[in-house]
Amino acid sequence: MLAVSLTVMSPDGSRFVPAALVLGAALALSERAWGRAVGLPLVGAALAVGGWLAPLWWPHPLVAVLALVCSFTVRLVACCGVGAHLIATTSPTALSAALRAMRAPRAVAVTMAVMLRFFPVVAHEAGAVLDAMRLRGLAGAGRLARHPILSLERFTVPMIAASLRASEDLSAGAILRGLGSRRRPTAAYPPRLGWPDGAVGLAVGGLVALTLSVPPVLA
Amino acid sequence: MIRLREVSWTYPHAVRPSLRDIDLKVAAGQLVVLCGASGCGKSTLLRTLNGLIPHFQDEGVLSGTVSVGGLALQRAELDQIGLLTGTVLQHPRRQFFTDTVAEELAFAMENFGFPAPDIRTRVTQLSAQLGQGGLTPGTSLGRLSGGWQQRVAIAAAWAHRPAVLLLDEPSSNLSAEAVDQLAQTLGQLKAEGVTIVVAEHRLRYLQDLADRLVILCDGAIAAEWSAAEFRAASDQRLAEQGLRGEVCPAPLPALPATGASLVQPWPEPCSADPSALPVGPSSGLELDQVVCRLGGRRVLDLAQVRFPAGQVTAVRGVNGSGKSTLARIVTGLRAASGQVKLDGRPLSRRTRQRISAIVMQDVQRQLFTDSVQAEIELAASGRPDSPSPAAVLDSLDLTDLADRHPLSLSGGQQQRLVVATVRLSGHRVVVFDEPSSGVDRRHLGSISHQIRQVAASGAVVLLISHDEDLLALAGDNQLTLRPVADLDLG
Repeated sequence: MLAVSLTVMSPDGSRFVPAALVLGAALALSERAWGRAVGLPLVGAALAVGGWLAPLWWPHPLVAVLALVCSFTVRLVACCGVGAHLIATTSPTALSAALRAMRAPRAVAVTMAVMLRFFPVVAHEAGAVLDAMRLRGLAGAGRLARHPILSLERFTVPMIAASLRASEDLSAGAILRGLGSRRRPTAAYPPRLGWPDGAVGLAVGGLVALTLSVPPVLA
Repeated sequence: MIRLREVSWTYPHAVRPSLRDIDLKVAAGQLVVLCGASGCGKSTLLRTLNGLIPHFQDEGVLSGTVSVGGLALQRAELDQIGLLTGTVLQHPRRQFFTDTVAEELAFAMENFGFPAPDIRTRVTQLSAQLGQGGLTPGTSLGRLSGGWQQRVAIAAAWAHRPAVLLLDEPSSNLSAEAVDQLAQTLGQLKAEGVTIVVAEHRLRYLQDLADRLVILCDGAIAAEWSAAEFRAASDQRLAEQGLRGEVCPAPLPALPATGASLVQPWPEPCSADPSALPVGPSSGLELDQVVCRLGGRRVLDLAQVRFPAGQVTAVRGVNGSGKSTLARIVTGLRAASGQVKLDGRPLSRRTRQRISAIVMQDVQRQLFTDSVQAEIELAASGRPDSPSPAAVLDSLDLTDLADRHPLSLSGGQQQRLVVATVRLSGHRVVVFDEPSSGVDRRHLGSISHQIRQVAASGAVVLLISHDEDLLALAGDNQLTLRPVADLDLG
């Protein structure tokens, strides 16, 4: 996930976007997440059309701005596709153990584990705040267009307040159970590389080689 | 085992100390109950015993000495204290860090660097104990009922064998049956010699386990009862101290309903014919052949049910039985097949969103402005028949707080503010989602009064709660749900 993010977000990273989308869709298929497996290439293709083909069809300053947004968003979507597989299949402790096994610094392992655990908390709180806004008649595209700053404020303030409250319990419970302590952590089942990791490595290597051997589709 | 000498604690920016001159001694193997009204300092005292105060606070003033197992906590590292104490917070789900039961049981031991074979042995042993109720090590934590979450949280806090176990209102979200299971678990731990301190509102389930009851008032110890005094105390005497007594299932009449989601379909288990239901007043919210599926799985199936207007319907059932799904369907937040009608008229999802309100368990999520007054003005419907904002604020004891930022209010005040917005906006359907989590007897009465007031205004009120005391006070009838698929672990 880190390698995909660094590659796709690098200055010449857009040429790797198709490979990252294929990888994300294949990983989604492996976990039977059909919606993501289908949706990821479709969204990627739509953004690619907006980012690269639309300015050719209709040269206009507004289309250029839209193309800029699309060309950046498609990179985010490609990274999120791979990240979604990580979130769906890997528990925070498994990720932490794997990073430790790779000799990653403890600060990195603990931070990544906490981030992975915190994503669902933020998503849950954001969903609940949006629900509350709908029931108060404060959500909707029309209201957002008329009062964009006010709408964002009404969403973010309660979302951050509720997330902080939930995260306080989470971090207190984890710290009291030794997370981030100076002791050397262990793993009940130390992670080992297996044949699926080899298969994924080969597939990624093949995608990278293919990307480098053909002219860039998105550039 | 535990010794506190003249302990006082003042939170940052607080005018008054939250703990005042606390002297407390707990011998090894004892079970001591901390009780008192909401805000009396129970949870704060627990946080001094597990070192979160002062180590997890940026500021604040702590005086006196706290020692656990001979370790002076002010000078100790949090991981040293964590090895010595296990803590179960009020909402176990919020403290779970992993995805499955086995991972959660292993979490502390892995962080404290226990050898891997020892961790596996201990996890197997604890899983076997939990497994007697049907739980497996690979069970997802998100699928557990409230009672099972509590048992897994206690097992996870106890896995690395700390000498002291600290529990913050462990029964606050549990049904009467789950409270009995909790008492059994605590009894087993006490028999193994664990020192246990429980901060609690509901007390009766602890009366055969507790060695002492410590009653706190305004941050100071107001009284200490021996085990014999505690057992002899009547519910009336507990009530005088603002404490809750016996937890009994609230005897509410069942709402006439049919569908696969019901624990006991009305009137006979084999009856699925809507025409068998009694004909009542058409005023109310009616669900007709409502079925909701998530990920291809049926999570709610109600063939026929009518929630009467002006009454409070208690919605009960274990986690995963579809209570939240029902709330989301009636408020239009989730799509489902079938029809939802109000006073006989079918309602679209958008219309349901417009006429519905939810008072969430965490009300911080639904406060959107920068002052109480602004929140009230935003909610006011302006209809001629709606109550005046001033009268509603006054009735909910919020008049003096009109200029305060909603997020600066206490939890109880925030909840009253949300209830005020509901009453002013004149919503026809109102859902209360676990509104009494962790409140004392006095506040329980206040919350119950607010719910009754909303129903008295003519609204259809659904009360989702495990709190039998609240259901007995506020409910008129009940609908008890069960999981449609065989996924129940509650």
